[in-house]
Amino acid sequence: MRLIGFSTGALTRDDFRAALQILTRRRVRAVELSALRQHELIPLVEQLDNLDLHDFQYKAFHAPSVMDPEFEAVAISVLDQVASRHWPIIVHPDAMHNPSKWAGFGDLLCIENMDKRKPIGQTVAHLAEIFKVLPKASLCFDIGHARQVDPTMSEAAAILQCYKQRLKQIHISEVNSESKHDAISFQSVLAFRKVAHLVPETVPAIVESRVSEDEIDEEIQDARKALSSENVLAIAGD
Amino acid sequence: MNGSERSASITSELLELAPLPTAREAASQVRKELDEILSTEIPKYTSEDSSLVVFASLARGEWTGASDLDWTYLIDGQANSDHLVIAQKIRKILKKHEDRFRPPGQTGTFGNMAFSHDIIHQIGGQNDTNRNTTQRILLLLESKAIGKNDQAYNRVMKGVINRYLEEDNHLLTEDGTRYRVPRFLLNDIVRFWRTMAVDFASKQRDRAGEGWGLRNAKLRISRKLIFASGLLVCFGCNLDDGLQRRISTTDSDIKLDLVNHIRDQMRLTPLEVLAKAIEQNDVSQTVGEELFKAYSDFLNLLNDKNSREALDKLRAEDSRTNPTFKSVREISQAFERALDLLFFVNSKLAPLTRKYGVF
Repeated sequence: MRLIGFSTGALTRDDFRAALQILTRRRVRAVELSALRQHELIPLVEQLDNLDLHDFQYKAFHAPSVMDPEFEAVAISVLDQVASRHWPIIVHPDAMHNPSKWAGFGDLLCIENMDKRKPIGQTVAHLAEIFKVLPKASLCFDIGHARQVDPTMSEAAAILQCYKQRLKQIHISEVNSESKHDAISFQSVLAFRKVAHLVPETVPAIVESRVSEDEIDEEIQDARKALSSENVLAIAGD
Repeated sequence: MNGSERSASITSELLELAPLPTAREAASQVRKELDEILSTEIPKYTSEDSSLVVFASLARGEWTGASDLDWTYLIDGQANSDHLVIAQKIRKILKKHEDRFRPPGQTGTFGNMAFSHDIIHQIGGQNDTNRNTTQRILLLLESKAIGKNDQAYNRVMKGVINRYLEEDNHLLTEDGTRYRVPRFLLNDIVRFWRTMAVDFASKQRDRAGEGWGLRNAKLRISRKLIFASGLLVCFGCNLDDGLQRRISTTDSDIKLDLVNHIRDQMRLTPLEVLAKAIEQNDVSQTVGEELFKAYSDFLNLLNDKNSREALDKLRAEDSRTNPTFKSVREISQAFERALDLLFFVNSKLAPLTRKYGVF
């Protein structure tokens, strides 16, 4: 069964400890530690040794989504401590000012495909440019971003077919018209299932939906349904 | 040089016939200039939810000095009254530059806003107006987004293609070895060609014969070109060996891969589609040359100020004696002769033309 977990940033903003406690209570077995804002990176990395993460079978780390150019070298240096734990490091392509400087992370560097607000990283062609500079990097496929960029899911299929060898992790949520991450809708489930067979069961998924603690189990269930390649989706009225 | 290299070299030669490279370069420059002018006056005039789309010769890469600028402000996002304000500003700015960008025709199909919902959902049925059909088919066959932000445009293109394929019950042949010709899409392209021909007569009546010569010349050649390229894109779904080799065993991939294939073909200009079809279907060099020579002659004629003005002023009753129109007739006859050989004689295309083209 696919490992499905949550992003700490989706549950609590600026309080990764609280998010980890919630996930532990809910017996969630996969987590992405999120330092989406630049100022969150160093405090989170400094605390890694003090966090109780032994319940989590899968751990990933989300680097800041926007960085000042002068902070980039600091971030790379700090993220070395994450790489030494062999955790995938999720990076937005437009957050890197000098992509080649990130090459040292090898396949632990996990490039995420972008939503429609971003100038790059949305399509197979965009990602090809990035992987040209970072040939060892892997892919964090954000299925909600892909749907927002192309609701037919044909671009999603093309990305998954083209970069299947690089696929390391999935991000899943409903990405709304303002590019915010909401709970997965039925419409999204229908769309995601069109490409679910292209995502091997061994690839873990991280839910990014902004939900409350009591909605976590249901959201994980919806993510599981959406990423299931079995053709058994019940439609209301059937 | 092997067979495929030879045919690739022949088709690239076809696309280099004068004045095609000059017209392509001019179109590319005008699109760039248009973006620069609009960006200066309306910074960020497009967004992830709206694209400025141009049609006709500017999109086909066939820009001549007197071409019209047909444009649409295409919206694929939340309803926002500011969209109208932007469309009006674009119109006003282009009006200031009308010596460079001749305004679109009188029908109101262009020079305005268009919404993705109608374009994608209203295919066929009572609500698929002439304007909606025109915008949709021209979007597919001869359009280009201006500026770097082309996300809305790309989404709508894929949305339309996907919509056509959703209505086809079987995308593959019964034995699953080839894609079928997408019949819904093909029928809409055929319908549009006939609509253009019928509208030609309607405009003749509405405008009391004004502009008859130029419209007739375009119908005979450039309009026919986009119809031919549309047919070739549809036939290519069945004929393209590379596409057949990639047929997936998973149902949903079959459609999504075809959406991507058709989208890729529709990134080409109509002349590039023709050149590719000539290369892929072993069409004789003579046919290719006659086709492209005729089209090049047509562009030369439109690019000649006197000829264009003569056509613009020409009324139907004088067409048999007018020397410029005599040239148009000769060019269009050569163009049609080559199209006949392509569609009715070529051993790969002819069976599909017979099966899907008429009945």
